[in-house]
Amino acid sequence: MAQHGGPQQRIFSPIRTALHRFAFILLIVSCFALMLLGKADTVLIERIRGAAVDLVSPFMNLASRPAASIDDVTNRIESFASLYEENLRLHEENRELLAWQQVARNLTYENSRLRELSHYANPPSQHEVSARVIADMGGAFAHSMMISAGTRDGVLKGQAVLSDEGLIGRVADAGYQASRVLLITDINSRIPVMIESSRDRAFLSGDNTDRPLLTFLTADATVAPGDRVLTSGHGGAFPPGIPVGVVSSVSENAVRVAPLFRRHQVEYLRVVNYGLAGILKDPDALHNMPHLDQGNATSDNNLPTGVGVGPVPAEPDMAEPPTFSSSPAATPDARP
Amino acid sequence: MKPGVWQRLDVIARSTVPAFSVFVLLLIGLLPYSIPKLADVTPALTLMAVFYWSVNRPDLMTGLAAFMLGLIQDLLTGLPLGVSSLVFLLVQAASANQGRFFHNKAFTVMWWGFAIVSGPAFLLQWLFSSALTGALLPFEPLVISYLITAAVFPLVAWLLVRLQNSLLRNL
Repeated sequence: MAQHGGPQQRIFSPIRTALHRFAFILLIVSCFALMLLGKADTVLIERIRGAAVDLVSPFMNLASRPAASIDDVTNRIESFASLYEENLRLHEENRELLAWQQVARNLTYENSRLRELSHYANPPSQHEVSARVIADMGGAFAHSMMISAGTRDGVLKGQAVLSDEGLIGRVADAGYQASRVLLITDINSRIPVMIESSRDRAFLSGDNTDRPLLTFLTADATVAPGDRVLTSGHGGAFPPGIPVGVVSSVSENAVRVAPLFRRHQVEYLRVVNYGLAGILKDPDALHNMPHLDQGNATSDNNLPTGVGVGPVPAEPDMAEPPTFSSSPAATPDARP
Repeated sequence: MKPGVWQRLDVIARSTVPAFSVFVLLLIGLLPYSIPKLADVTPALTLMAVFYWSVNRPDLMTGLAAFMLGLIQDLLTGLPLGVSSLVFLLVQAASANQGRFFHNKAFTVMWWGFAIVSGPAFLLQWLFSSALTGALLPFEPLVISYLITAAVFPLVAWLLVRLQNSLLRNL
């Protein structure tokens, strides 16, 4: 190529190297420009991130299926083996649940009568979307997942994402048909929580390890390993009472929490829109919600959940314990 | 007399193979595997491919390609924008300059070369990610991830050699 070049080559090759160098410097500069732009956290970047997730989601949706179907086959084989015992157990459980149903009906009736008496305002209704996990952004730097639901299904930025066990994170970028979920273990995640037994408030701050930290815990707070941690509902992002984790270790300078989900086993997630304004300050997004509730008849179940309290910060140590004691019932959790 | 439209399309398609292979490796790295603890220490598959192509086909893995691939990675994984672009760009520049050194040498030389180049790459990524999030990211998963990445490199390189020999031989 350039080795046996004539006089033309001798003139042009320094220009070419100069151009190359210029392009390199230009690209380096654009890297830093991107960092600044990303730091500014504009809506534009959000849209682009959402679009990028959308773009690869069809592929990820297909490619993530084989792994899931292998799990399915092994599960089936396992369940065949214990079919009889399982049947017995379910019969037993069914009987118990029917009894519970009766209790629940009585309580619902009683509850509605009491609400009528006290002119109680119903909490916002809940809109729920189930989605499959199609990607897990592992690595030392990011703790997030991609799910197969987007604005098409009513998923919006900031909504709570739950696994069967409890809170797993919130929607960070919503594309049209897929979204990215920021896990509670990510370094950018901050969630207002409280200790279930003592009602002490704190923030659950991720630090990219699998054991997020409890920060801003008051000095006189009593925390012990094994205490359950629930969302407190402050800031209006999430309703109170969603189980988040269990305190795993308490030391001089750090209280760590073990989340309830196991990252490698999460297959399906629920994106829950509790209808709280929360961190959604975007008026368009708020306008969209009632429309979604009417239009999406399939994925929509407008159940009044009795989530206890609305966006108003609750005062559990005040004279109204019922507001809070009813909240765990809203998010059915398997307590020992 | 003319090369023909199809032939030219074929050449263009083949010349995008390196960049496309990095993209596919990125997606493979994103798939959810039901293996405990894997998510914490995923090997940097894309970094391996960027290094491999920069050494072997710097004409096809250009600085611009490395930059764009880094951008896609940051967008998809939710990392601070621009960090992967910078890392890939520097890896590309460093490896493309030293590429001739690896030619006609045993594979172990390239392996060592990758281990040496990817160390600072990981460190740089850690440094910039920490600076942009405003907190020190944990260092331990970084080290484990680096070791796994260095260990897995031959496997990925083997695949890329096959790819190069089958699709890019005459290009």
